[in-house]
Amino acid sequence: MDMKTLLLLIALAPLAGSIVAGLFGWAIGRRAAHVVTIAGVAVSAILSLKVLSGFVFGHAPVFNEPVYTWLTVNGNTYSVGFQIDALSALMMAVVTSVSLMVHIYTIGYMQEDPGYQRFFSYISLFTFSMLMLVMSNNFIQLFFGWEAVGLVSYLLIGFWFKRPTAIFANLKAFLVNRVGDFGFLLGIGLILAYFGGSLEYRDVFAMAPQLAAKTIELIPGHAWSLMSVTCVLLFVGAMGKSAQFPLHVWLPDSMEGPTPISALIHAATMVTAGIFMVARMSPLFELSDTALNFIMIIGSITALFMGFLGVVQNDIKRVVAYSTLSQLGYMTVALGASAYSVAVFHVMTHAFFKALLFLAAGSVIMGMHHDQDMRNMGGLRKYMPITWLTSLVGSLALIGTPFFAGFYSKDSIIEAVNQSQLPAAGFASFALTASVFVTALYSFRMYFMVFHGKERWKLNVHEHEADAHDEDEHHHGLGPNDNPHESPWVVTLPLVLLAIPSVVIGYLAVGPLVYGDFFNGAVVIDAIKHPALLHLGEEFHGATAMALESLRSLPLWLAAAGVLAAWIGYMKAPQLPDAIRRRINGVYVLLVNKYYLDELYFAVFAKGSRWLGNAFWKIGDMLLIDGLLVNGSAAMVASISRLTRRLQTGFIYSYAATMILGVLALMTYWFAPLILR
Amino acid sequence: MSFTTVVFYILSAILLLAAFRVITAKNPVHAALFLVLSFFTASGLWMLLESEFLAISLVLVYVGAVMVLFLFVVMMLDIDIEKLREGFWKNFPLAGTIAIIMAGEMALILGSPEAGLHTYPARAPLSADFSNVRELGVLMYTRYMYATELASVVLLLAIVAAIALTQRQRKDSKAMNVSEQVAVRAVDRVRIVKMAAAPVDTAATDEDQPQA
Amino acid sequence: MNWATLNLMPALPELFLLSAVLVLLVIDMLLDDERRGVLYGLSLATLAGCAAMQYLAWTPVPVETFQKMFVADPLSGVIKFFLYGVTAAVLIYTRQYVADRQMFKGEYFTLTLFALLGMNVMVSASHFMTLYIGLELLSLALYALIALRRDSVPATEAAMKYFVLGALASGLLLYGMSMVYGATGSLDIATIARVIASGNGNTVLLVFGLVFLVAGLCFKLGAVPFHMWVPDVYQGAPTAITLMIGSAPKLAAFVFLTRILGQGMEALLSQWQGMLMIVAVLSMALGNLTAIVQTNIKRMLAYSTISHMGFLLVGFLTGNAEGMSSAMYYAIIYVLMSLAAFGVLLALSRAGFECEKVADLKGLNQRNSWYAFLMLLAMFSMAGIPPLAGFYAKFAVIRAAANAGMVPLAVFAVLMSLIGAFYYLRVVKAMYFDDAEEDAAIEVRADMRLVLSLNGLALLALGVLPQQLVALCMTAVKQSLTSL
Repeated sequence: MDMKTLLLLIALAPLAGSIVAGLFGWAIGRRAAHVVTIAGVAVSAILSLKVLSGFVFGHAPVFNEPVYTWLTVNGNTYSVGFQIDALSALMMAVVTSVSLMVHIYTIGYMQEDPGYQRFFSYISLFTFSMLMLVMSNNFIQLFFGWEAVGLVSYLLIGFWFKRPTAIFANLKAFLVNRVGDFGFLLGIGLILAYFGGSLEYRDVFAMAPQLAAKTIELIPGHAWSLMSVTCVLLFVGAMGKSAQFPLHVWLPDSMEGPTPISALIHAATMVTAGIFMVARMSPLFELSDTALNFIMIIGSITALFMGFLGVVQNDIKRVVAYSTLSQLGYMTVALGASAYSVAVFHVMTHAFFKALLFLAAGSVIMGMHHDQDMRNMGGLRKYMPITWLTSLVGSLALIGTPFFAGFYSKDSIIEAVNQSQLPAAGFASFALTASVFVTALYSFRMYFMVFHGKERWKLNVHEHEADAHDEDEHHHGLGPNDNPHESPWVVTLPLVLLAIPSVVIGYLAVGPLVYGDFFNGAVVIDAIKHPALLHLGEEFHGATAMALESLRSLPLWLAAAGVLAAWIGYMKAPQLPDAIRRRINGVYVLLVNKYYLDELYFAVFAKGSRWLGNAFWKIGDMLLIDGLLVNGSAAMVASISRLTRRLQTGFIYSYAATMILGVLALMTYWFAPLILR
Repeated sequence: MSFTTVVFYILSAILLLAAFRVITAKNPVHAALFLVLSFFTASGLWMLLESEFLAISLVLVYVGAVMVLFLFVVMMLDIDIEKLREGFWKNFPLAGTIAIIMAGEMALILGSPEAGLHTYPARAPLSADFSNVRELGVLMYTRYMYATELASVVLLLAIVAAIALTQRQRKDSKAMNVSEQVAVRAVDRVRIVKMAAAPVDTAATDEDQPQA
Repeated sequence: MNWATLNLMPALPELFLLSAVLVLLVIDMLLDDERRGVLYGLSLATLAGCAAMQYLAWTPVPVETFQKMFVADPLSGVIKFFLYGVTAAVLIYTRQYVADRQMFKGEYFTLTLFALLGMNVMVSASHFMTLYIGLELLSLALYALIALRRDSVPATEAAMKYFVLGALASGLLLYGMSMVYGATGSLDIATIARVIASGNGNTVLLVFGLVFLVAGLCFKLGAVPFHMWVPDVYQGAPTAITLMIGSAPKLAAFVFLTRILGQGMEALLSQWQGMLMIVAVLSMALGNLTAIVQTNIKRMLAYSTISHMGFLLVGFLTGNAEGMSSAMYYAIIYVLMSLAAFGVLLALSRAGFECEKVADLKGLNQRNSWYAFLMLLAMFSMAGIPPLAGFYAKFAVIRAAANAGMVPLAVFAVLMSLIGAFYYLRVVKAMYFDDAEEDAAIEVRADMRLVLSLNGLALLALGVLPQQLVALCMTAVKQSLTSL
């Protein structure tokens, strides 16, 4: 099988599965629907691993070819093409393998759902879209994949479309993402306008160095660096998709979707599309320090402040969601420090352990009969041993325990930021280090509340908060006399399979991926201006040494302190958090209300745009369009059709007369000079 | 103006007048007869072009066969031609104006010096032993063989179409089909119905009884 | 004439088709009504045979035979392949419909095949005489097919209108041809082109004839102001026959146009370009605007046809290879779209019920979501919504016009396609957002289900992957019109 066929197969197998399950799901039944989609994704995953192994165990040549030319306009070709290098191969492998796990898990999780086939069709469609995004070799296809994953995400957040909260959440995700996409599209527009008219990465990157010093005047009199404007605009797109402050507000609400989706789309893959995109565009971003500083600031704010919010959440999925936000902040900071390989490395490790945590959370939710409130849980380790162990592994990986996957990526990011010489690095370094403590705190708060302590559902304190999905039809909760039970094997198997890479992948991959030459050619770093990664490489002496050295470093002790704090607060002295809460009530209220950002957006943007929309509607629609254009043109159309209807009498002779008149008119027009002479 | 030109204009005038009467005549028989007249004058025009064979076949085929058949049909059927021509006179002024403008323009265009019809040389007269039939025959079966064959296909199609549109089984026909009568079986004629020995509902029995 | 040198190979498909029709005529006599279905199978087999013969007779360069009255070139080859396919689809779609309406007679099949033969002759004609005979062969068969359901008053009336107006159009066409003959002294298309190009033709006579030729051609296409028959005939004819009139003959008409104007009168481009531009503008405007107020979907599709022919002319009148091939692409896509749309109407019709009102489609999605989806594809494609084939077709003709410097025409075409989208979307709205008014089961034969589904999906496939077909059209046009 040649490379082209192989790649086409990788991309199209999930699409085929999706089409079959989506269009013919009603005919083939539930079982066949999941068999066919899983088969499609499995083919894709196996072949992706094969492609990746070509890059890992040998230096496979970069594949960069169009596979299909859609159209050619004025010499510009718009084609579907694949650029497969180390970066995209790694992303493909992560996307397809996590997707495969989620597919399998879904069999158990969605067992009783009436939209079973629809769900499988959606997640396979998502896999296809995400593959198109990462495999693209041009901006058009990137944008297609970008929008397609957004669309599927929208559909899946609102999967339970009868819940008002789900509809609200998916609309919110959709609108917030439009803000990001607007910036992204503007960025692509600038590239189209200034980079020689081609939208292929290859051509654009080749042009970039010549344009490094070029300035443009978007507002007359203010000359801005073209590269900075373009990069910041592109990054605005990444902020929307990767939920960076202040466009992060949609991600926690997206937890309204089924849990497998939260794992696949809102933790492991889609939200990392922004990170991937910036890494892919490294030849552009390297040329703009302004953009890199901007990225680092945004990333640090996200990492620290979203972590705080995780501490006060009681919904198990929301804790993981805020943790995802915070981790995305880490990745973004790594991008800002020009440590693209570290960012992508964290994308990979995070994909595994965060998918694991989400799926474990889903397993807990199933065990609790769809109760998501951690205040009703406790002591679950007795009843759900596999879920308990795998969750522990995931949490350890997340907080950066040495030798676990998260440790290597996270520690590398912090080190890279410390080495960065950009002005924003100081703040970023502080924010990331501080949030190590926060991460450990909320992770183990969740862990202890769920798996240890009293079996609180037996206390029958079902005091639901308003946001705990009371309208949820799946929401039953566990009675005081019931006991949770371990989930079926289709649920635990993916947990175990994800737990393995969560432990070992960091140890195995950190050397070649971050400090080796794996990404050479795939990402570009200006080593003179941004030497962080270079310095890091000089200090790296192997994975084991790195883990041992960390014993002497601050982050590890901060993490340990976080775990300890969680243990004291939620195991040893449960009254303590309440006491603290009372003491600093103002801060608590601020956190519970998520810094009032939602309220701000509602008051300013939602209300403002509704007011604007209303005004446009009144003036534009009612007066101009309806009044003049629609009604006016309708009146015109009506009068024209009255006229033609009068001609269309149904009598042959009037038809014949029309024809003759037509001939007469043509003849008169063409021979007017001859006749009139 | 040569003699043939004078004849041409006379024949053309008659032809146009006859054609006009075909569509204006109140009596369908008159209309058919005017059509015959127009065919005759048209064949006269062929004659002027020395195409005797075409002229004669026009008379023989159209006047001799087609129109006679047509007259029979017209005379036998009682067609209310007035109804078909409803609104004819109402629209006539407009149609007439258009026709006059059209004819006028065509005359202006074709008669203009730019059209240069007068520069076309007059055709040399044919020799006495020139055979129209022979020339036509040769052309039809050599140069225009394909077109001739196609024309025959058109005729075949016309036959098929005419039969398809007119042939119908008459429902009131009393004709007997002997082979069908012979081939008939008992079950086709008699149906034995099993009935419960219950009080007879007259309405139901009527329906159940085969209407032999 | 020397039989040894008569090359019958290029005309193989036509010879086979004619022989098959004759055989079918005889077989029909031997069949009783119960076994009439045999003819259906034989007709499809005939079409398959024709396609096979066409494959054998394929030629990459123009080959003439029958004393230069017949030409086989890539243009005719490609179009003929589509003619066979479209005719087969028509037969499959209409099978149940005609059986329900006492039209399932031998003549139905023979007349259809005669019409196909007529189209084949037109497509391969290199002489005005064969062009005309082919046209008459097609028209006669169509007149008869429309009237085949004799007891239907609207059908008879439609046939009558089509016949009378068709005769008038033929008269105009013949008059135009005689003028061209007078100016050039030949009816052979290549000779005419040569004489005109050499400047020996009488220009006044030629342009005078051209006016009548354009009028006759536009009648066949159904372009304004020679369109009056289209709505009445589309509505009056049984839906099966409407499908037949609205599909394959448009392909033949396109080639007819190409042979006369593109090949014969190529040197008069500047003259006929202007005439066609007027016709195209009027067609797009009147077709789209009038379609909006129609409630009968057959009539609506008739007006939509008129506007589509306007679009086709937009591409054609550029007179260059890009425009002509885009017009050819448009014709093919148009035929596929109308096949799909009428196919769904036929699927929804049943004995005693004609699906011909927009209201009849209400709630189709609830009744059968697959047919609703196919209709959606057809409507979206006709409206020119990407990524369906109709979009690319419109895009191609408009781009060709813009590239040829006719920007105002291109802008006008875009505007008209926007207005046109409205009434197609009305159908979609009825199918998806209105409640069903009836719940009769939709029963469709398996062969039709398959072909109709493929037909609908082809609209999607050709929109996403148009390049192959576009390239094919380009090659066909370039190889056949050697002057381009």
